[in-house]
Amino acid sequence: MLLLGQGLLGCGSWSWSRRSAGPAGLLGQTNREDPALSGNGRVLASLVERDGRPTVLLHEQPSGRELPLPQLRRLQPHRSPSLSWNGRYLALLVQQGSRQLAVIQDRATGQLHRLPLPGDQDPERLSLAPDGRRLALEVVRQGRSRVELLDLAPLLEPDLPATPVSGGGRLP
Amino acid sequence: MRGLSPIAAGSRRHRHQLVTAAIGRLSLLLAASATLLLGGCLGPMPQPLLGLNSRLEAIGSSRAPALAGRWLALIGGRDGREQVQLIDLERQLPVPLPGLNRPDAQPLAVAVDGAGEKLALVRQLEGRTELVLYRRSLMALEPIAMQPAGVPRRLSLRADGRELAVEVSRGGVWQVDLIQVP
Repeated sequence: MLLLGQGLLGCGSWSWSRRSAGPAGLLGQTNREDPALSGNGRVLASLVERDGRPTVLLHEQPSGRELPLPQLRRLQPHRSPSLSWNGRYLALLVQQGSRQLAVIQDRATGQLHRLPLPGDQDPERLSLAPDGRRLALEVVRQGRSRVELLDLAPLLEPDLPATPVSGGGRLP
Repeated sequence: MRGLSPIAAGSRRHRHQLVTAAIGRLSLLLAASATLLLGGCLGPMPQPLLGLNSRLEAIGSSRAPALAGRWLALIGGRDGREQVQLIDLERQLPVPLPGLNRPDAQPLAVAVDGAGEKLALVRQLEGRTELVLYRRSLMALEPIAMQPAGVPRRLSLRADGRELAVEVSRGGVWQVDLIQVP
């Protein structure tokens, strides 16, 4: 649920209109972390504790309706969500057994793409290009962070601003 | 050993050719099946962008990536001196960000819009953590106050640059603020 917040507030030479993404938990005392907006702003991803583990939730904007993500259950803790333009693709880091893994959930087809990483690299953060063509992955190797880019063109159809979403009909 | 009659020898050669052809077809079928099975299991795989990755390697350490359009924003540098960098992925070159980086500021998180015009940044400066918006065409930096007061951390900018989602700590609880960007 979204709570519409304050109206226009003056700040310097520009004014900023704000609202809260809404409380997590009944009394608003649960953390909501690591937000990610889809390119068109119609979907917000954030991390909320479910059963004691950080879990990615998707909320349609501005209604606040929660969107289902059944395939990501049992892959917590989730980290670093990132969305494509229309929110068709959700990229994030998950835990599978003892391994951390980058995955991309295609919400139009229901497919979960697992992206293999070399064994000696720990993924820290990721960012999905809004069109779904590239993924930037921050990995730590021998204590040093570095960003690497992956070409997703062999894997994903583009998710473009003017492209109507087809298949599954599960998108807002 | 008696030789075979020409007819019997021809018949045996024919059978041999038939068996050889059948084995050949079976091998091809097995190879194609194996390829299909492997393809089905592994599927198309993402490929590392080797040229761009070697350019990124030259930056030194790099972290907190944000992709939008042809742009990659990140925090990177050598010898612990980190700066916000914006890389044009088509030209494979960093672009200048005059007025954004300060030697006394520590960048924590960055986001960029799809036009490469707006960069949102959380940084520590003089003991405070602040959220600022940088417009590249104006080379101008504008602070965005947290209201109610809070400490910002990670953030996300819509690809169309119209809205910012910011993680803010208030009273020991992390919340998410959505801020319209004028």
